[in-house]
Amino acid sequence: MSTQDGGYWYLASYPKSGNTWCRVFITELQRLAGEETPEELNLNQDVETGAIASSRLWLDDQLGINSCDLSFAELDPLRGGAGESAWLFAEGERFHKVHDAFQSLDSRGRPVVSTTGCLGVVYILRHPEDVAVSLSHFFSWPLPQCVNFLLDPSAALVPSERHGGHQVRQHMGRWDQHVRSWVDQQQLPVLVMRYEDMLMKGPETFLALAQFLRLPDAPSLVNQALLNTSIESLQKLEDQVGGFAEKPKGAERFFRSGRSGEGAQQLTLEQRRRLAEGLPAVMRRFDYEDVDKA
Amino acid sequence: MSELTTYQHHYEAFGLNILSDMLLPELPVHAGTDLSPLAVHIAASNHEDWPPLVANEHSTPSLQMALGDWRLELEGIGWFRAYAGETLSYERWDDSVSDRDLRTFLVTSGLAALLIQRGALVLQGTTVVRDGQAVMLLGAPASGKSTLACCLQQEGWKLLSSELSVINEQGLVLPGLQQLKLWHDSAASLGLNWAQMPLVRRGLKRYALLPPEAEVSSQAAPLEMIYIISRRNNRKDAQESEIQTRRLESQAVALLRLRNNAYQPRVYRAMDQEANLFLQVSALARRVPIYSLQLSDGVKPMQQALEKVDLLAPSSLEAKPTVELDASAEAQEEAR
Repeated sequence: MSTQDGGYWYLASYPKSGNTWCRVFITELQRLAGEETPEELNLNQDVETGAIASSRLWLDDQLGINSCDLSFAELDPLRGGAGESAWLFAEGERFHKVHDAFQSLDSRGRPVVSTTGCLGVVYILRHPEDVAVSLSHFFSWPLPQCVNFLLDPSAALVPSERHGGHQVRQHMGRWDQHVRSWVDQQQLPVLVMRYEDMLMKGPETFLALAQFLRLPDAPSLVNQALLNTSIESLQKLEDQVGGFAEKPKGAERFFRSGRSGEGAQQLTLEQRRRLAEGLPAVMRRFDYEDVDKA
Repeated sequence: MSELTTYQHHYEAFGLNILSDMLLPELPVHAGTDLSPLAVHIAASNHEDWPPLVANEHSTPSLQMALGDWRLELEGIGWFRAYAGETLSYERWDDSVSDRDLRTFLVTSGLAALLIQRGALVLQGTTVVRDGQAVMLLGAPASGKSTLACCLQQEGWKLLSSELSVINEQGLVLPGLQQLKLWHDSAASLGLNWAQMPLVRRGLKRYALLPPEAEVSSQAAPLEMIYIISRRNNRKDAQESEIQTRRLESQAVALLRLRNNAYQPRVYRAMDQEANLFLQVSALARRVPIYSLQLSDGVKPMQQALEKVDLLAPSSLEAKPTVELDASAEAQEEAR
């Protein structure tokens, strides 16, 4: 099937870990490499913001039912099979944001996303201390709640079963479980990118991304796309469109600081210790120093 | 043995005489014994006895389809088959599956597939009626149709069909599903005694509002107005308790919006009914005024707004200065 020939990619991450930056970079790189280059990137028109794998419209179409009539526990095992025909993926965008863990507590060991026709996954991770600070701004939650969220094995987005919504529940689990679910799965090729490397070693990190995704990879193009999607540029672009479509109501802006190390400054010693003690193996594995070694 | 003995339950919905071996309280009961002309049958069946199917390209892992044959497999719940616009078969996955679990999908996806096989125009909408005039509320699941319909009951409207609505060639909306499904938060905000209401299905925090608690009508009614529902999106210029509408003046836009609100468009394609759908919604767009309707978030503002407006007189609630903005957003939506 021709739709399978093109294939699609997942950009997976725990929320507030750099997924949007990555998508904006890809869009900008494609724009720069295009034959007809518009003057400037428009965040709300050019960047695909949907999370199709958790979209009710997508699931309803694929399953042939109103997914509101299934519980989240019933839905999760079906979600991975929902996209097997893959044509919607192929006709739509090729890069899909996913915040779900690869499997959920209810998915019976099956992935909650379709793997058929998928070419691979870019998994983006960020120091959990900084994720806590970013979550706090995004959801307008106090920091202790964000730390609890990162450590919660049942953490999920859209967790309420008391009202409908256009997205279904996205189970993430504990931060380290989320990382391992994607990084250690064997069904899709995976490129792991640390947010800190995207910041500190931008040219080589994004060059590797472009190569993995089989995008134009001339260093000059990659570097220009990187420059055009720096936090300062993104803040300017966000101002131009009067707020990025993914910004929640309570948040002042979507592209806030982009820095790393804010967690170490803003979390208490006790909060940092809780993260270090709750997530030790994966933090060590990805060179995230804990509070007692920093 | 007569048919009525085998099929103990007899309903009349969507213009069909429906004979069923399962109790279907969501459907209006047929008063007489006349089975002509459009009898369809709903009955248990062993899915392993169903003939092999060569599924067409519109099929998915859950939904296997060929011309005139629609099969749905829902793991943990059951198998369903709509065939030739005449029979709807089902088999439960195991003994833990209740009749309520099965009929949730039988009377929605199953009946809709059967109706599409018959060439009917089935839209994803809830229709309410007052003084013999019908108004259809179109929108995706979870867009607020049932909550709005429930609020409208307090303004004297009656439910004609929920979730899916069928319009016949004479422009009449036919009585259909007579059950409103309300999420917990909506039921609580509407002041309903949710603890006493039947669950839509075990394990869901959704409740069924059925007659007599739901006020229903079983008379087909002429469709006077269609509203396509969306939730207000951070509009700074709108008051909290406002409902805003705007007429879709462009026939092309109206037609596309109607087509996008067909019930399960994939099934139309698989049943080779897409051209028919296009003709039917074209005729509908010419005949019936179509409005977009932006709902307030929250039940209380919705109730307050409905006290001031009349859905049969949409000019009283039209948005004024934001037409250009909306038109541009609509163009983008269509482009997607």
